[in-house]
Formats: sequence, structure tokens, C-alpha cells
Amino acid sequence: MSDGAQSPDNLLWYLQERAKELGCLYRIEEVLNQPDSDLEDVCKIVIEAIPPGWQYPDVCVAKIEVGDDVYQSENFRETEWVLSSHIEVQDKVVGIISVYYTKEMPKADIGPYLNEEKKLLGTIADRVGHFIMYNNMKQVFQDYEDARDVLTTHQEKEWRVALNLLKQTDKTLYVNICRRMLNHLCWSGIEGSDDLLKSASSISTDQAERLPTEDNRPHQKSPLAFSDKLCEDIFAIADKHIWDEQILGFVRKWIQEDRLSFLTKVLSQNLPMTEAADAVRRYIHLTSDEVDLPRNTKRGIQIALIRRMLSDQMSYINVANDFIEIRDFQEILDKLIYPPDSHGRLGGKAAGLFLAKQVIKRGDDSFPELQDIKVPKTWYIASDGLLDFLQYNNLSEVVEQKYKDINQVRVEYPHIVQMFKNCRFPPEIVQGLSVALDDFKDQPLIVRSSSLLEDRAGSAFSGKYKSLFIANRGTKQERLETLLDAIAEVYASIFGPDPIEYRAERGLLDFIEEMGIIIQEVVGTQIGNYFIPSYAGVAFSRNEFRWSPRIKREDGLLRLVPGLGTRAVDRLGDDYPILIAPGQTNLRVNVTLEEMVRYSPKQVDVINLKNNTFETVTIDILLRSAGDELPGIEKMVSIYDGHLMRKPMGFNIDFEKDDLVVTFDGLISDNKFVKQIQGMLKLLEKELKTPVDIEFASDGRDLYILQCRPQSSTDTGAPANIPKNIPENRILFTANRYISNGKTPDITHVVYVDPQKYDEIEDRQQLLAVGRAVGKLNKVLPKRKFILMGPGRWGSRGDIKLGVNVTYSEINNTAVLIEVARQKGNYVPDLSFGTHFFQDLVEAEIRYLPLYPDDEGILFNEDFLLNSENILSEVAPECADLADVIRLIDVSKSTGGNILRVLMNAELEQAIGILDKPLVDQKSPLPAKDSEEIKSNGNYWAWRLRMAEYIARHLDPNRFGVKGFYVIGSTKNATAGPASDIDLLIHFSGTDEQREDMMTWLEGWSLSLDEMNYLETGYRTGGLLDIHIVTDEDIEKKSSYAVKIGAVTDAARPLPMKTAIEGN
Amino acid sequence: MEKQGFNPFAMAQAQFDNIADELGLDAATKDLLRNPMREYHFNIPIRMDDGTVKVFRGFRVQHNDARGPGKGGIRFHPQETIDTVRALSMWMTWKCAVVDIPLGGSKGGVVCDPHHLSMREQEQICRVWVRQLAKNVGPISDVPAPDVMTSAQHMLWMLDEFEAIHGSKLPGFITGKPVGMGGSLGRTEATGYGVIFTVREALKSLGIRPEDTTASVQGFGNVAQYAIRLYEQLGGKVKCVSCWDQEDQASYSFKKDDGIEFDKLLEITDRFGGIDKGKAKELGYEILGADAWLEQDVDILIPAALENQINAGNVDKIHRNVKIVAEGANGPTTPDADKVLEERKIFVIPDFLANAGGVTCSYFEQVQCNMNYFWEKDEVLGKLDLKMTSAFNSVMELSLKRKLFMRDAAYHIAIGRVAQACHDRGWV
Repeated sequence: MSDGAQSPDNLLWYLQERAKELGCLYRIEEVLNQPDSDLEDVCKIVIEAIPPGWQYPDVCVAKIEVGDDVYQSENFRETEWVLSSHIEVQDKVVGIISVYYTKEMPKADIGPYLNEEKKLLGTIADRVGHFIMYNNMKQVFQDYEDARDVLTTHQEKEWRVALNLLKQTDKTLYVNICRRMLNHLCWSGIEGSDDLLKSASSISTDQAERLPTEDNRPHQKSPLAFSDKLCEDIFAIADKHIWDEQILGFVRKWIQEDRLSFLTKVLSQNLPMTEAADAVRRYIHLTSDEVDLPRNTKRGIQIALIRRMLSDQMSYINVANDFIEIRDFQEILDKLIYPPDSHGRLGGKAAGLFLAKQVIKRGDDSFPELQDIKVPKTWYIASDGLLDFLQYNNLSEVVEQKYKDINQVRVEYPHIVQMFKNCRFPPEIVQGLSVALDDFKDQPLIVRSSSLLEDRAGSAFSGKYKSLFIANRGTKQERLETLLDAIAEVYASIFGPDPIEYRAERGLLDFIEEMGIIIQEVVGTQIGNYFIPSYAGVAFSRNEFRWSPRIKREDGLLRLVPGLGTRAVDRLGDDYPILIAPGQTNLRVNVTLEEMVRYSPKQVDVINLKNNTFETVTIDILLRSAGDELPGIEKMVSIYDGHLMRKPMGFNIDFEKDDLVVTFDGLISDNKFVKQIQGMLKLLEKELKTPVDIEFASDGRDLYILQCRPQSSTDTGAPANIPKNIPENRILFTANRYISNGKTPDITHVVYVDPQKYDEIEDRQQLLAVGRAVGKLNKVLPKRKFILMGPGRWGSRGDIKLGVNVTYSEINNTAVLIEVARQKGNYVPDLSFGTHFFQDLVEAEIRYLPLYPDDEGILFNEDFLLNSENILSEVAPECADLADVIRLIDVSKSTGGNILRVLMNAELEQAIGILDKPLVDQKSPLPAKDSEEIKSNGNYWAWRLRMAEYIARHLDPNRFGVKGFYVIGSTKNATAGPASDIDLLIHFSGTDEQREDMMTWLEGWSLSLDEMNYLETGYRTGGLLDIHIVTDEDIEKKSSYAVKIGAVTDAARPLPMKTAIEGN
Repeated sequence: MEKQGFNPFAMAQAQFDNIADELGLDAATKDLLRNPMREYHFNIPIRMDDGTVKVFRGFRVQHNDARGPGKGGIRFHPQETIDTVRALSMWMTWKCAVVDIPLGGSKGGVVCDPHHLSMREQEQICRVWVRQLAKNVGPISDVPAPDVMTSAQHMLWMLDEFEAIHGSKLPGFITGKPVGMGGSLGRTEATGYGVIFTVREALKSLGIRPEDTTASVQGFGNVAQYAIRLYEQLGGKVKCVSCWDQEDQASYSFKKDDGIEFDKLLEITDRFGGIDKGKAKELGYEILGADAWLEQDVDILIPAALENQINAGNVDKIHRNVKIVAEGANGPTTPDADKVLEERKIFVIPDFLANAGGVTCSYFEQVQCNMNYFWEKDEVLGKLDLKMTSAFNSVMELSLKRKLFMRDAAYHIAIGRVAQACHDRGWV
């Protein structure tokens, strides 16, 4: 009724109709799922349930005919206005279900009936058909069991009973078994069997004896005719020559094999999900408590199922095969929603979690603490649900989105989100979700993506798509609509600029994106209006951020927060998770009281059940209002009195008065939690054969695993390839102790505090001045494009002889913080490992690297550091007196165009600093323009630069009296954010009138660009251009912005104007 | 330390030498006071959590105990050097002497980085430190306290070990304990209140009524907050405070010409004295740059944050109406800025006098522990007022009599008192 659904009235009517239909279906599902209902019950309920689901319930009657039985509504009478659907069992029609209107009703799609009603009736017939099939099988099985019980006293006859049973129930199988027995008898050369074979076919013995090679003609095929008589004869012979036990054994085996043949057939042909699902159900039904399949067959089927539903990656299959059995798929299928004819899979995230769950479930006995680990209730939508959704809404062209210019993608994305949210879902999906919601009740939910690309592109991809929390409160209809809305939004996130950009970068654009959906209940407790887990977080089996040399990589890393784990997953910058190395819980990052308080979590992410929103609230406020309602709170906080941090003893927390700090001290010393996390990490790493990271949450009672994937994490956090055979003169340093993973973007500047010179400073003020000078350089050098190298411990206070006294704000723009430990006499000083601001470094992803230049086999190019040109006094003239201590090296200038690249690989315990060509000059898999844009984070600068160039090209220098046009600041430095303005530097030498003219002209641009920027980013600044005018005089005096023109670092970038001016 | 370079002990000695010359101390007294009376250097072997043994270096330097038991903190620091500890122990001698409490100067430490140690290992270090020195420290000989990277927890471990060795309860062995475990009430308020006690006396001597004055405070942490509270009780008006903004990694000044509303400001302040910029703006505060606090037209400046905050770069921005600088922080004024303040005849209450409220309260803690009778907060703060007032007056008197800058007068008094005690005991 898509036509009718346009006006609001029609829409309302339409929705009411759909609601009625769903109500009808629920009712029927309910009775079908009751374990003890029989066919009669079912048919009666169906008859009752049908009329309310139809458009005109008052005049609607129904009838079901199954075999000889007929069930019908009370006032039933047949009319000409009928809608029918066959009930089928194993492709055979066994009955019919019909709906009649007793009066003539207005015309609709099919007579007076709607298309949707026709579909609904079909679904009902299907469900009844399945029910009948299961019931029959149950009956057969029961008969067999009964027969067996009776015959235990007549052991020798058991096979005969079985055969008789088979003969009645499954003629095909019976004949099949007779034929196999005949074959067996013939092969065994048993007397009389040949004759039987002959009588079964019309092939003469002569012909049969002729070898096929003697003739080019194919054998004439004669159908075997197995009469009941023949069958009897075959088994009569068998009875004579073979032991009863043996016959029984054969019969059993053949029955089993026959039953399974359907499985292999279904799977090898990669049939739709419905059939795969049926196959698994049948398998489970058939093998419920009998002897199982031969091992190899089973393995084959397992693999086929794993490939069909979970993943086609060999590495996954190899592991999964040891942990996932055929019957385990039932668990997925029970909660899997898929379009008709689905060929989809679950997607990476769902597959990863399912495998982890199975590994933990079947994990070896050395991890007894893992028995209590739980997985939240989860429903899935198959990956091709997305394509179905697109087709259903005629949106297929949106797939082309990915080939558009990234800026356009960015502009259009909000519209796509809105468009998706206004789409309808195919009825199968809606029905499935409706059932899922009944299963979840009103537990809050998270809707997450589970992309097939995660398999292919590595887990780093998984963070690119949306995950949405929903409170799941209200009426069923409201809950369903919110859920559909959330799924639409997650679907839309495929077409967001970030994932498209990411895919372009990795050459994955052409891969058809299919995305599964995971709907998972949120673990937690309701506290006031909020719903939260007590605590949650992520854990890594390898620790890439070791804050002490005593911590080994294998000790792992735990990022723990109160409330929803979102705050542990993301790096926040203004708040901190608690970091723990599960292998060494005693070595904490923060040891002084001040550190413990400063680096404790201050905010909590919650689901607001009242407003149905995801919110961040201050933990103090949450605890003061309802702290005692949060399970496990006594293990999460410590009481701080200004001088001492105490774990609560018993229930002595006064939530209103005590100063509470989240430390998780109780949880950590309690041991079980850490043991569980560590056990999971160890077991999963061992079985999955790769380091893993997991997400988890706890409601204060049980620990739940929410996600599991290989630990390769972010782009910058992956182990870098350490190239071999680099000529020594291109190496700045090498290192082989306490290395973490990562690589830096191209480094343009090195700040080197000469350890020896620093050590020679006698005056404390002078030592402090070094710190301040570093702070100044931190402000002027391009962000994350320089490294700081210095003696001993960066951030020393008090005794600052052995390390430069800096605060975090004085180093926060560096890409790498390097501590150089030179041998002194016969000892090497301890390094700080960044402890003074360790957590700040972690959250900002600043790399830390210790160098031990005096170790054997280590290269340290001191010559380069000491003898390259020092540009300190040019960049920071006020620090010129420190030039012998602080050396600022422009790498490009000192090497003729090279940059420094720092590559770190924790697996190899190797790091290297190489003087190399800039990356952009090298061959890139992408067109030049794209790579240029993708290189920056966020792209905001690229568009700005293009616009600046555009303005410059249109600016008439003669008209306005302009001598030069430059871009400076964030646009030039590629650091512009969404709200940054475009800094233009204009060398002006015209009249006042010209100046006024030009400013008006530029003002127009400024406002237009601001509007464009607003549309793209949502930021409005009231004018995007920031114009700086310099005159000849300024340039001569090098005053104000004029210093930027031709400057050594951060120089203004000239842009060509409408017609070039002489001398420019 | 054979290496050339910055040496804190050499610096402390040089400072002492200057004053000693001005005081005309004899060679023997100078020699005695230039160097510590006793130093203990010892090993602290620890069985680590992983079963290995690691040996840490521990120190205790008792610079001078002529006026009473030594007093001074225990530092856990990876770059601890004996010279730092020596310099700090000498500083403690002067500090106790200037407020005229019957204690000498000590300092101790362990070369270790608690960041690489578990709590159990730290506890072991504390206990072994006490075991090594049990005979040489104690409530009537040398009294430790918390310092860099040590807290009340460390003090309790040390006390427990000390009491176990001596077989009796001796809470006066160590200070900085939590209230209820031998700690004193009033410790939180002591330093901030002490600053204002001296400010009050300074105003008295200048003939200004506190209620006619205004002040600007750098920092909004513990010291600054209690200083402001007491100053407002005296009737003064604080027009500007500055604090560190963790998010921006920068300092800001918060100004309100008709006076800040202290309690409202506290509501929007975090545990570290960081004021919420946005909310402050809503409350009508003007948000200014880091140095704005000292440019205000006020009578009193109270730097109560970090060292080196008033320096050659900004000292000239101090408003001409400023009459008093009360150093709530340690070393907030650099020597060159100090000269400018002296020339401009600004009344400086030097740090080791102005912020001696803390050490005085530690002394009270020890006294209370020794008699096992604990005072109410009022009594602690009342006694603190007396001590600070009389200490200030002595320095003031000397400053007037000898026409000395307050800082010099304070050193003269402190060193003079210690030298006198040494003489009286017949040491020199």
C-alpha cells in the first residue's frame, strides 16, 4: 500500500493495519512455542487469532484443513471473497488455510484483501507447517523409543523393528537402506545376493559382466525397482549370513548418514539462510541424544557452517572449528534476524564475540575462574539486511556515495542519516525485531555495527561505524520505533565521511559493504533515572604503554572506568580511566595521593531512561544522589581525607559527606576480577593465536564479555616494520629496550637537549630556563611534527639536574618524547618512563622512547645532533643564550629535504629513527590529491587551502593595490579544525580607498565561506577569513605578521594571484 | 657529587655564609652550622614482589639539634642526592628557629621511584628505613614527617615499625598522621591561617585596618583557600585570585572588583583549586591572563602557588598601591625580583616565616602525641596564632632596629637563635 501511505490519515491507517497484523502473528507464535501444545490447540488459536489481524475483523472468518481434520471459526461460512495459503511439510502440501469475508468489502490489492494480508497468511501457513513437521518427527522419534523399550528383551529383533518403523514413516530412506544392504551383500559375495540384484534391475548378468572400457557407448541405465517383496528378501538373506548386531549397526549408520546428507547438500550449495537454519534445527533434533556423527563428517559440516554464517577467513575458521559445534549454531539462529533469501553472515564483531564466548566456555581447566564469565543477551541481523533495506526503499544508488569527493560526502552525510531514518524496514525484519524486543523486555540496548570489512581490513575498522545506546522504555510500538531508528542510523554510518575516507585510503572502496547488526542488552543496574554498569572497560593482552620497566608486555593492560565503557574505549584527554597491568596489579601508574586524585575518572557515561538519551554526568553528583544503589561501589571508590586514601571497610561510606575518589582499589585487591580478566586475555590469546583486546562490563555482580578482537588497534599503534640495510648515515638512533609499538608521521624538527651541556649548567635558574625554552618551542613548532630528545627524566621537579623541568603543557605537542640515558662513570641513570605525565601521554597518544646510546650494538648519531645547524636563535631569539644546550634542528634543511621517521616495533623490541624522504613524494596507492587530503586528520585544512587558492586566483592585484597574497596559520600548517578560520596575509601597498574596496570584497568571501563551513561542519564563526594586512614598511622592519614572509620556520605560503605582479 | 653543576647544598651554604658574615659569627660557629651534625647513609635491602632482592639507598641528615629534636620530612625520590637532603635539613633548622619552636632541622630520603614500586614494596622500604635508624631517631631525638611522594600511609607504616621495635606506643615519633591515629586537628587550616596571622600583624605595624584593605591571591589550593577565608573574616576584601586550568594547561586570573564571593567560588572549584572558567564567567568574574593577579590595584599580594612566580619579567607590573607581599608558597620571589621589591619599599613577609604555620602545627601534633592528649581545633589554631604573632613581631622588631629587609631580618633571627643555642650548650 505504498501509494496510500502518503497522506497523514493514510499513514496512520497503514500503521494501524501493520500493528494489527503483528499482534496476530505474536499470538500465533506464542501458542506455537508452547512446548506441549498439540495440533488441535494450535489450529483453534490460529482460527481465533486471524480475524483481528485483518482489515475488517467483524466479517472475517477462517478455516484450516489439515489431512482429514477441519477447523473453522464459529460463524464460518464460505463465500466468494477468499484468501488461501497451502500448508506444506517437506515440500508436500498437507493442508490449506483460508480466510473469508462474509460480506463484500471495498476492493483492495487482491479482491478486498491487502498484499500484506496475503503475505501474513503465507507466514502463518509456514509456521503451522513447521509445527506439523516437528510434531511428526517428535512422534516418529517417540515411536522408535517406545519400540526400543519394548524390544530390549528381544534384542535380536531390534533391527527389524527399526526397519518396519522406517518403512512406515520414510519410504525413501527405507528403500535406500535396502539398496545399501543389497550392495553390501553383493560386495561381500554372499550367496543369493547376485540373483536379487538381477531381479532388481533389468540388466542382464552378461551386460553387467562386460567391463565398461570395452565399449564407448554408455551403459544403458535401468531403474532399480525395489518392491516390498525384494526388500524383504534382501534382509532375509542378510539375516541368514550376518549377525543381528552387525545388521543393526549398518542400519543405524546408514540412517544417520542419510539424515545428514541433507546437511552437507544444503551447505555446500550455499543456500539461503532459511535453509541453513532448517538444516541445523533438523540436525539438532535428529541427534538430540543419539550417537553423534563420524568425526570427519562433523568437522566438514562445522567448517561449512562457520564459513556460511561467521567468517570465511582461514585463520578464523581454523580456530573456530575446534570450539564451535554444529549445535552451537542453534544459539545464533534462535536470535538471528535475516531477510528472505539471505546469504549474509554475522559480521566481524559478532563472529569475534561468538568465538570468544565458545573459547571461554570450552576453555581448559587451567582457568577455573572463567566459569562465571557471561555474555549479554544478543540478537543479530544478517549482513545482507542492509542491502535488503536499501532495495526495499529504492536507495540502492546511495552505494555510489563512496565514489564521491570526500567533501561532498561530508556535506551530504547528515541528509543521508535523515533519509535513512525516514525509511521503512522490510516486514520480515520488523517482525524479527519485534520478537527480539519481547525477548529483551525493557532492558536498555546497544545497537552496534558488525561489518564484514572488519574481517578483511583488520579490527581497526570496527571503530569507524556507529554504536548507539537506546533506553528501550515505553510502549512496545515506541520501543520498536526507537530500535528501528537506531538501526537505520547505524546503517547510515557506512556512508559517513570517516569510514569512506578510511576505506579509500586502504583500497577497500570497491568491496561491497555489508554490515551486520548486533543488538545487545546493556549490562547494568538502574540508579535513579540512569542505567549503568557498575564498571566497564577494555583489556589488551599486550601492554603497549608500560609505565615501568618492571612491567612486561605480556602483563597486559586494563583500562577501567565506572559506568559505560565508552569512556575507556576512547581517549578522552580531559578525563582518565584507571590503568592496570593485570599481570602486575601492584605497579600502579599513579602512586602519590595527588596523582591518584588527579588521574581518577571524574565523569560517567550513562543511559538516561527518562529522556532516552546517552549522557555524561559527573561522578560526584551521581554518587552523592544514589551511590549506595550502585552494586559493588565499595570496591570502586576510596575515601580521601586530604592526607590518606582509604579503602572503605564494610559499609562505612557516607555518600553525602565523604570525598570519594574512583580508584578501583577494592576491585583490584579482591583478585577475582583481575584474575578473570587476565585469564580471559591469556586463554583467548593462546587459542586465537594472536594478541587480543576485549571489552567487558560488570553490573557489580557478574563479569560480561562484550567484544573480542585481535589487538592491532589504531593505525599508529600497530607494530611498525623495521627496515633492514639502512645505511648508517641515514640512521639517527636505534633502540632495543622497553619499546612500544607505533610510528610517527614525518618529523620535520628535532629538539635535542645536549645531556653533557645540560649537566654542566651550575645555575638553577639556568636549568629552569631550559624547561621554559622547551615550552616555547612546543608552542611554535608544528604539532606532532617534532620530537623532544633530552637527558634523563623529562618533567623533573625539585632536583632538576638530571632531567629537564617541564610540565605536560610544555611538551604536549611533541610526537615523541625521548629520554637519553648516557652512561655516567659506571652506572646508567634510571629513566622516568614518562611517569610524571604518563597518563597524559597515553591519552594524547604521544609516544615515549628511552634510548641507551652506550649499549652495545646501538647506533646514536650524535654527530648529526651536535653538528647540524642550530636554528634555535632564529625561531626563539629570546632563548638564544641557551643555544649551546638546546639544539633545534630543521631536519629538512640539514639533510637536503629529508624528514625523520621513527618506527617502533614492540614484538621485535626494536625501534629506529631514520632520515628519509617525505612520504608524500613516495608512490602512493591513491591519487595525489586524495593522499594529500587524507594525510591530515579531519581534512578541514585541505578545503580551506583550496578556497584560499581560489580567492587568490580571483583577486585582482591592480584593482586593490596588492603586492602579495599568503596563507598562514592552521590552514597552511594543515592543523585547521572545523572551527578554524583561514588566516590570510596580504601585502598591501594601495590607497585607503583600495583598501576599503578590498576589505569589502573579502568580507563577501568571508561570509560565504562561513556559510559553507557551517553546512559542512556545523560551526559558525561569523566570517571565516582572518585578514592580516602588512605594508612595505612592516616588511622592511619585519614587524607584526611581516616576519612570516620568508621566515625560516612556519613561513607564510605565497599564493598566485589573478595576474602575477612584478617582484612578487 | 664530583660533577660540576647546580648544587643545592653549595647554594644553601653560600646563603648561610652571607648572613653569618653579617652576624659576625666566629669561625667555629660558622664551621659547625655550615655542615650537618650527623649524617646516616645506609642500605635498604628489599625482597621485591617477584622474589628478587633490590637494595635502595637511604639517608637521614640531622643538621642541627641544639634547640631541640630534629624535625624534617622523608622524601622518596628517584634522583635523591645527599646534597639535596643536606640543603633541605639546613633549611629546616632555620625554619623551626624563626618561629621559635624547640626543634632542630633534619631531612631524610630514599633513592627510589614509587612509580615502579608496589605498595607492599614501599611499605617494606618504610619499615627497613626505621629499622636501620631506630636507635638514632625518635620523639625526643629526631621526628620525621611526610614529604615528596610520601603520605600519611607511609608515616603509619614507619610508626608501626618504630613502636614494634621499642615495644611501646610512641606516636610522637612521627607527624603527618591522620586525625584519630595521632594526627592533629587544624592541620589543613594551619598554613593558610598562619599566612594571614602574619599579614594581620604586618598591617598593624603599618597602621592599616584590615577592613580597609584589598588583596589579590595567586593560587586557589589549600593554602590560598584558608588564607582567603581568614582574611575575609578579618574584614579584608579579595579582588582577584588566579589558578591553574588543567584543561587548558594554563593559568588564569579571576577578578571581581567588588570582591570575590568565596563560598560561591568554592562550589565551582575542583579538588586541586581549579576554578571552572565558564561558571565563573556566569557568576560575573572577569577572566584574565596568568599574571593579572599581581597587576591589580590592591594592598596585599599573596603568592600561594609555586616558586619563581614573581620574577624579573613581571615584578614591574606590580601595582604602585601594593604595600605587602606575603609569601604563602615556597620561594615565590626570585632574587632579582626581590631586589626590586626591596627598592620599592614593599613589605615582604618571607616564605619561611609566612608559611611556617604548617611546621608549627606539626610541632603541636608531636606535643599532643607526647602527652597523649589532643586539643580541640580552636585550641590548636589559637596556639598557632600566638606562635606566629610572636615570631612575626621578633622579626619585625629586628627589621626596624637594624633597618633590615624583612627577609634578611628573618634569617638573622633564625641563625642567631641557633648559634646562641650552640654557644649556650658550650659547643662553640
